Amino acid sequence: MSAATAESKTSYILDKLQSLSGVIPIGAYLLDHLWSNSYALVSIEKYNQVSGDLQTVPWRIALEAAVLWIPILFHSLYGFYIWSKGKSNALSHPWMSNWMYLLQRWTGLIAFVFIGWHLYTERFGGHGVTRYAGVAEDMANPLYVAAYIIGVVACSFHLGNGLWNFACKWGIAITPKAQRAAGWFGALVGVSCTLAGIVIVLGFHYAWFPLGGYVQ
Amino acid sequence: MAEKTFIVRIKRQQRADESVRWEEYELRYRPHMNVIICLRDIAERPFTRGGVESTPVSYDANCLEEVCGACAMLINGTARQACTALVDDLEKPIRLEPLTKFPLIRDLVVDRSKMFEDLKRTHCWIPIDGTYNIGEGPRMAPAVQEKGYPLARCITCGNCLEVCPKVNSNDSFVGAAIVSQVRLFNMHPTGAMHSAERLDALMGPGGIAECDNAQNCVKACPKGIPLTESLAAVNGQVLVHAVKSWLRGE
Repeated sequence: MSAATAESKTSYILDKLQSLSGVIPIGAYLLDHLWSNSYALVSIEKYNQVSGDLQTVPWRIALEAAVLWIPILFHSLYGFYIWSKGKSNALSHPWMSNWMYLLQRWTGLIAFVFIGWHLYTERFGGHGVTRYAGVAEDMANPLYVAAYIIGVVACSFHLGNGLWNFACKWGIAITPKAQRAAGWFGALVGVSCTLAGIVIVLGFHYAWFPLGGYVQ
Repeated sequence: MAEKTFIVRIKRQQRADESVRWEEYELRYRPHMNVIICLRDIAERPFTRGGVESTPVSYDANCLEEVCGACAMLINGTARQACTALVDDLEKPIRLEPLTKFPLIRDLVVDRSKMFEDLKRTHCWIPIDGTYNIGEGPRMAPAVQEKGYPLARCITCGNCLEVCPKVNSNDSFVGAAIVSQVRLFNMHPTGAMHSAERLDALMGPGGIAECDNAQNCVKACPKGIPLTESLAAVNGQVLVHAVKSWLRGE
């Protein structure tokens, strides 16, 4: 293989990695993150126990960097580059999938800003160690609640629609029927994440424990 | 009784680097007119609505039955063929503009040779001759023929490129039509012998990874080609080819 051919495949590989990183690890982590935070809907003790365990995993910094920070930075920055190469025309061709194309870009930007702020307030700045009381203190502020709901909706939409894109772009869903099914699957994931995220945020805001019935 | 007329507005430009002017023509209505007839009426009597003498509008057309692809233009903002755009069905005044994703030559004529170059670059043909007779090819299963036929209806009009957000001056994306042709030729038993060359080409700059799934192409296709299906299918082919080549160190 000539050097020119090898070089010309770089963008293919980067595009594919950008697409893959959105599902694994970032998408998978979003599901895990909503799962572990759902313990806030069970009880304060349970939440503190689970979040305490998560914050004391071995090799924490290396793990966070490898599974979260590097993939999120790559997915976002390379994603902005891909965005810069497209010119949306949803106004002149207002088809639904064309709006989804535009929304996928804007929700990506919102998610990027939200995640940066979220890391700053809950991971690096603020409380140092996240405990129920600290998060609840933040969530007492209605502006935090509003920002979290916007962030949760943007991330969930981006993941749900991204799963549909992934299925099409990796040749998993080929026929229109399969692509429609992949679209419904993505919608299901997106709506579920949105609902779970909003319930968790409201749980912190109102000190509400709807799943507390499990605790004996 | 006064004659029934309608207005056609046309975006005109002598050359790509010259200024744009919009001209309005008032044409005599007859039943079953299409946009090509409008342009021919103007050529016959090139006087604008204000009575100013102009020049016939340049446009491309050939078959007049939507099988050649030449007369693609923006009609009321929609990329479509002028020959099958019937005046009866169009909102008036009718607005005609050249396609925007290809270099302008004059008025409604654009240079679509990018598509031909990309068809060549992606090896979208089947070599049937050598320096000697290479004999008959393998037989093609009827089921494959049936899948291939709709793809073979592509007229390279460029409508799918026109509506694609990823086909623009920032990006070299080949567009859905070319990817769909790769699928067609890879489907053919003789064509499949060169599938690696096609897939390699689509892995390069402007290749299939540029598709961001806005799925406008399939809605703009005048021939009803399942372009999004072709994009997904070829995406899978390129991926498998890429992984195999990588594992084998090719």
